[in-house]
Amino acid sequence: MTVMTPAGDFRTSYRADTTIFPTLGSRAALWAGLAVLCFAPLVLDRYFLSLLINVGTLGIAALGLNILVGFTGQISIGHAAFFGFGAFSSAWLHDTFGLPVLLCIPIAGVMTALIGLVFGAPAARLKGLYLAIATLAAQFILEDFFARARWFTGGVAGRLTESPAIGGFALDREETYFYLVLAFVIVMFVAAANLMRTRDGRALVAVRDHYLSAEIMGINLAYYRTLSFGIASFYAGIGGALYAHHLQFVSVEAFNILFSIQFLGMVIIGGLGSIMGSLMGAAFMVALPEVVQSAADAVAGGAIDRALKIGGNISFLREMAIGAAIILFLIFEPDGLARRWKLIKAYWKLYPYSH
Amino acid sequence: MKAALAVAATLALATPALAQQRIPVGHLMDNSGATSDVGVPYGQGVADTLAWVNQTRQGVAGRQLNVLGFDYGYQAPRAVSQYQSWTGRERVVAIQGWGTADTEALVRFVNRDRIPFISGSYSAALTDAGGKSGRAGVEASPYNFFFGPSYSDALRGMLRWAADDWKAKGGQGRPKYVHMGGNHPYPNSPKEAGEAMARDLGFEVLPAIQFALTPGDYTSQCLTLKQQGANYAYLGNTAGSNISVLRACQTAGVQVQFMGNVWGMDENAMKAAGAAANGVVFPVRTQVVTGQDAPGMETIRAISRISDPAGTAYRPVHYLAGACAAMLMVEAMDTAAANGGQITGERIQRGFYERTNWVPKGFEGVCTPSTFTNEDHRGTMRVAIYRAVVGGDTSQGSVADLIRAGTMRLEPVTTVELERKRELLGW
Amino acid sequence: MDGTLLFQLALNGLIVGALYGVVAMSFVLIYKASQVVNFAQGEFLLVGAWMCWWFLTEWQLPFVIGFLFTLVFMTLFGIILQVVVLRPLIGEPVISVIMATIGMGIFFQALMKWIFGVFAKPFPPVFTAERVSVLGLEVQTAYLLSLGISLAIMAGFGWFFRYSRHGLAMRATAFDQQVAQSLGISVPRVFAMSWAISAVVSAVAGVTVGMVNGVSSALSFYGIKVFPAVILGGLDSILGAVLGGLIVGVLENLAQYVDSQWLNWGNMYQVAPFYALLLILLIKPYGLFGTKNIERI
Repeated sequence: MTVMTPAGDFRTSYRADTTIFPTLGSRAALWAGLAVLCFAPLVLDRYFLSLLINVGTLGIAALGLNILVGFTGQISIGHAAFFGFGAFSSAWLHDTFGLPVLLCIPIAGVMTALIGLVFGAPAARLKGLYLAIATLAAQFILEDFFARARWFTGGVAGRLTESPAIGGFALDREETYFYLVLAFVIVMFVAAANLMRTRDGRALVAVRDHYLSAEIMGINLAYYRTLSFGIASFYAGIGGALYAHHLQFVSVEAFNILFSIQFLGMVIIGGLGSIMGSLMGAAFMVALPEVVQSAADAVAGGAIDRALKIGGNISFLREMAIGAAIILFLIFEPDGLARRWKLIKAYWKLYPYSH
Repeated sequence: MKAALAVAATLALATPALAQQRIPVGHLMDNSGATSDVGVPYGQGVADTLAWVNQTRQGVAGRQLNVLGFDYGYQAPRAVSQYQSWTGRERVVAIQGWGTADTEALVRFVNRDRIPFISGSYSAALTDAGGKSGRAGVEASPYNFFFGPSYSDALRGMLRWAADDWKAKGGQGRPKYVHMGGNHPYPNSPKEAGEAMARDLGFEVLPAIQFALTPGDYTSQCLTLKQQGANYAYLGNTAGSNISVLRACQTAGVQVQFMGNVWGMDENAMKAAGAAANGVVFPVRTQVVTGQDAPGMETIRAISRISDPAGTAYRPVHYLAGACAAMLMVEAMDTAAANGGQITGERIQRGFYERTNWVPKGFEGVCTPSTFTNEDHRGTMRVAIYRAVVGGDTSQGSVADLIRAGTMRLEPVTTVELERKRELLGW
Repeated sequence: MDGTLLFQLALNGLIVGALYGVVAMSFVLIYKASQVVNFAQGEFLLVGAWMCWWFLTEWQLPFVIGFLFTLVFMTLFGIILQVVVLRPLIGEPVISVIMATIGMGIFFQALMKWIFGVFAKPFPPVFTAERVSVLGLEVQTAYLLSLGISLAIMAGFGWFFRYSRHGLAMRATAFDQQVAQSLGISVPRVFAMSWAISAVVSAVAGVTVGMVNGVSSALSFYGIKVFPAVILGGLDSILGAVLGGLIVGVLENLAQYVDSQWLNWGNMYQVAPFYALLLILLIKPYGLFGTKNIERI
């Protein structure tokens, strides 16, 4: 094993070809990165830690959506509803059955996966645009269900829930919850990367690239499309459960159409079909409102602020920034941040011969 | 190492030598969400008042207030997340809040963290300070306060008036009452209490009609209302969507007496709805509205000049209520700081119980007197009912112009003083 | 079973449904001509309504002049949007185009709130008689005006696509872009024209709703309601769009009737069209008049 990818293709076995971290350099970077993250709670303050926790939980859900949209070629504009379902399930399980939170989170993921399979079955028959519209309808219907099902969601008032506890030790502060989220992120991302190496993962990609050929080769389209929905919902459920126990309050208002669109934005900005891209896209979407807020604070009180009335209208600026970011990325960087990162790495690898 | 830092930090915070440090106060606002049409003037009133306190009274006990404003767009999870940030980082000692959903979600948290929360939500569930009312779903909320009658009490007051009004109009038989509002904690808050009171007063209670908190086309709801033959209808939403209902029902030719909640009608809504708003009654939390005179209006005008130096802006009823709510918190802080005391959440909460028939100094004749006890956070049982009178076309000219020209005015109808019944606490 | 209420609700449904039909027509126009699904259709209504309101109140123009200015503005608006945002995305996968229109929708909704504020603003009165009685139901004159305009637009579209050169060019482009190009039809110009027409037609609907309910951000929800209408009617059929709009309007009001009489849930008005949408997608995805997509290997 070499430190950096050598020029030329020296992989001699299939196993070597599908290694996720093939070079010593990338493995060292991985361990160093994890070490830095482990020390983060000791150094950063709660605000940044909560931002990182958000990146983690949203990143897991975005990864699920990326499996559905990027790897299988489907469309879903209802991802926030599944995220919400995971959040409500976990809170409901903990409240009704008294299960420990750490057990509730995976079970909530499984429950959400089952719901995803239910929605995925008819969706398997629809393609492209019709699927997008169907998932849009599903979003509104699920939102309505959340608002009405008091026994499950607490109705429109929402539901309070508790933070996880190991033994008697409660993980209710950002510093400790961070580690839980980090553990889940590592597990879920490695699982997704492994999924893409298996036969099922390759089948999903085949469905995306040319479904007619895939069907001719014997890949059961309906089965894999439905499976893809199930996997995406599982990830969304886990993300939602982590979100619920971080905030300790779940309410239907959080899981609206704008949130679904933000997930899609994360996936597109991060890069369709890229696992690392999901995390990058989530980081971008979490950082964007904060950057806009800081920019607005910086010009607050000045002439620009008074002329444009930025101060009171900061929420609109945030939304405009999200919309503009989506459009600009689609026009200028349609393959997302992951591709831009690959280009940057390639530039340095070939320096000074790159152009 | 971390322990040593923690000890040093605690010592630093405890030292009174940092008396010149600013007092962190949280301020949740809705400037962009579903209730922003009334959230903007109320939030402006609170912000201007706290800024005025900083300017003219040098803050509280010589320390300036550090007001941390946050527009959460009426989405409860964002408010909860901001609350956690405030308690973790800035360590606020009190919060000026807003909506029902997030206030009720935060009851447990403010109770645990001992931070007084003065909300723009007047949900009766927030008044049961001791938690002894026995009402389902009502938790002890010793740290929740609000200025004005609760939604349930305001509705009860208006129903009392409606019963008298029906007799005065010579109505035959039982009058019909219907609750109209969105499916959301804020409109739902007084629904059951109102329907129970209506039954007690001899009304026939019709099935509730739902309409969203956003403006829209509510013709079908109005047609249903007309067919049901209701005589009195309670509008549980804020002014923005009530306007749509009023206009749709005017078009459909519905003859019903509309009764709004405190957030359901104001001068801006009267201009927007025009003649459709004529005759709507609603409760007003203050003893006067802008345009009427009282000793305290001088202070209000001074506060208004903070954000409007020219003095031309018209301040709707919500602005005055916001000012009173902010002043309650400020005077409670004064009490906490008296005799060199610490300004902590617990001491501020006890400061609320200090006075009875409490009108903040300088606001005489404007703020209704409030009394809080450690079991009962119903500040006032007085419901002042006003009627919106709109005489002509309101599309041209500002609110101030229309009021001056007499095209629109707010007419006091009556004031209902409810008995402070123990069994109705928290409901 | 209250016959009068049912009848009135059905009539109200038809009148409101005509508006949905107008919006659905503009949606289908864009889809037919440029294969783009415009998730920002509701924002076209919003921008049109706000611009007309602004012309009428800030500049004190008479209604007809202000309306004409609005139409001119919306033409330019549609063309600029198509050139700036959609043209670079020609050839990209459908998910990217959908996301671009969604992003546009978010952007313009927030922009309108920023410029014009969050309060619903009423239109200055335009007609001397605010309402007219139709078969026992009091209807706003504005709705009748919109009904008249919708019929005129439908007739106009019918003539345009059948007999005018530009209309034929659009139909040719919708059928096969390459062949159209080889015959000398400027495909980018056709795209721009379709967006311009769609924006203008949506503005008409927006102004109508604004006249009735006041202008507010709730107008953009019409862009979501349009989906059940176009799915029902068929994504590439203009006649289907109109019928779909009428059916959705009546369906909403019938759902409200059922809700008020028996169910008392309170939310059927909002959510019934989406249940219908899902049902149609499962049973008959191409709608009443849509052309079935035949896949060739």
